[in-house]
Amino acid sequence: MIRFDQVTKRYPGGHEALRNLSFTVESGEMVFLAGHSGAGKSTLLKLVSGIERATSGNVLVNNQNLSKLRASQLPYVRQHIGVVFQDHKILFDRTVFDNVMLPLDIIGFDRRDAQRRVRAALDKVGLAGKEKVMPIRLSGGEQQRLCIARAVVHRPSILLADEPSANLDRAYALDIMELFKSFHQVGVTVLISAHDETLMEDYGRRIIRLREGQFAA
Amino acid sequence: MKHYLYLHAQSARSALLKILRQPFGNLLNLLMLAIALALPVSLYLGVSSLQQWTAKLNTTPQITLFMELSSEQADLAAVESSLKHHPRVASFRFVHKDAALKELEQRSGLNAISEGLGSNPLPHAFIVTPQALEPAMLDLLQKELSGLPMVELAQFDATWARKLHAMITLAGQLAWLLAVVFALAMVLINHNTIRMQILARQEEIAVSKLIGATDSFIRRPFLYHAAWQGGLSALLCWGLSSWLAYQANPALAEFASLYGIDAQLRSLQPLEVLGVLLGAMLLSMLGARLAADHHLRKNQPA
Repeated sequence: MIRFDQVTKRYPGGHEALRNLSFTVESGEMVFLAGHSGAGKSTLLKLVSGIERATSGNVLVNNQNLSKLRASQLPYVRQHIGVVFQDHKILFDRTVFDNVMLPLDIIGFDRRDAQRRVRAALDKVGLAGKEKVMPIRLSGGEQQRLCIARAVVHRPSILLADEPSANLDRAYALDIMELFKSFHQVGVTVLISAHDETLMEDYGRRIIRLREGQFAA
Repeated sequence: MKHYLYLHAQSARSALLKILRQPFGNLLNLLMLAIALALPVSLYLGVSSLQQWTAKLNTTPQITLFMELSSEQADLAAVESSLKHHPRVASFRFVHKDAALKELEQRSGLNAISEGLGSNPLPHAFIVTPQALEPAMLDLLQKELSGLPMVELAQFDATWARKLHAMITLAGQLAWLLAVVFALAMVLINHNTIRMQILARQEEIAVSKLIGATDSFIRRPFLYHAAWQGGLSALLCWGLSSWLAYQANPALAEFASLYGIDAQLRSLQPLEVLGVLLGAMLLSMLGARLAADHHLRKNQPA
């Protein structure tokens, strides 16, 4: 469950990315986040994953108030969230397999169990045969899938994706969306941002539209 | 708990493998640390070896008790019995004033001294060999003995013993001072090497933090790397100081034999090796910890 309660985020320098925003995403819900770039979508996702802190208001994730949590506790919140970053944040100095292994290393999984999970995650996103490949040799779409595999390998209860379909052609983007839908179907709370609304409308899910840090009419 | 230990064993292993994967660069690093350690350790070994020899040398100064000229047989007996029962007196010898005069005549070659003088001007004397070598103890003993009845003067020549002791003490203090300086160097060197490593892995650290790594998870591989670095350099330092002693011993033995002493530089004892090992590991980890904390503080998200 994600709840925003009168959340404002002001960046140093005075730019207000989010203004007095309140909404709830129920457990297991799949919600789209729409709006032009600069509307506050990325900031909203960063607040959910505790990468940024709200200037005022409360951000509740799985019944924990991130605004009141100590910085040393934030990592444990993040360990229950999977994030597909807009810029992927893939590590190019290690194989596909080791990239997906990272979250499990961080949580401290048993090695054998972890290896099994990594293979399952890679299989799920269709990269089963590319375990030992270095990420630089993957196509853009495959890198995107690698990032998704890393986001879900530890079976988070919340999955956040920041513009996952950007830079992908429509057929590929639909593939990715289907992938997210399959995670939603097994009970994961999914929050996806995109500036292309046509893709979302096909799914008939709730869409939160942002404009200049507020709900768009 | 078992799982926690397993994770640490895993980190320790991968840190060691990382060192072994770049043997040349890391060996240079280890040598630098080992030399920094070997200097104070060698000085320490030198000083403690010196202390062993001086303990072996019969250097205990003697205290001479001069009795008052008017002292009588009963007074002598009293002093004798208190010397006999004194716990710090190893042995003593009584010199009668007539014997002393005779010895003086013999040594100076002036046979007529006693004839020229009406009476023997020399006092009776006790020559006392104390047990302790420490100057403070000797001073105390001297004061005590001079307080015995009818003792005019308790005199001893302790200046050379004091000088020797002071020199050993000074060298010992120098060893400690060096140890402190090089301990600091140890921290700084590790701080620097770990800082470089952190910079090289900056991206990995940033991504790890984004997906839920705690600060201790970020620090762990660097702490283990530093611990290995410290531990291995301590072992190298052990080898280095033993080698130094081995090289110096023949020359030293020859020099010492001129004085009839059997002198040898010793090497580190097992317990001392353990001490150096643990000390080096802790100092290295301290340096790594400071470097990691600095990086984490500087790159705090939000």
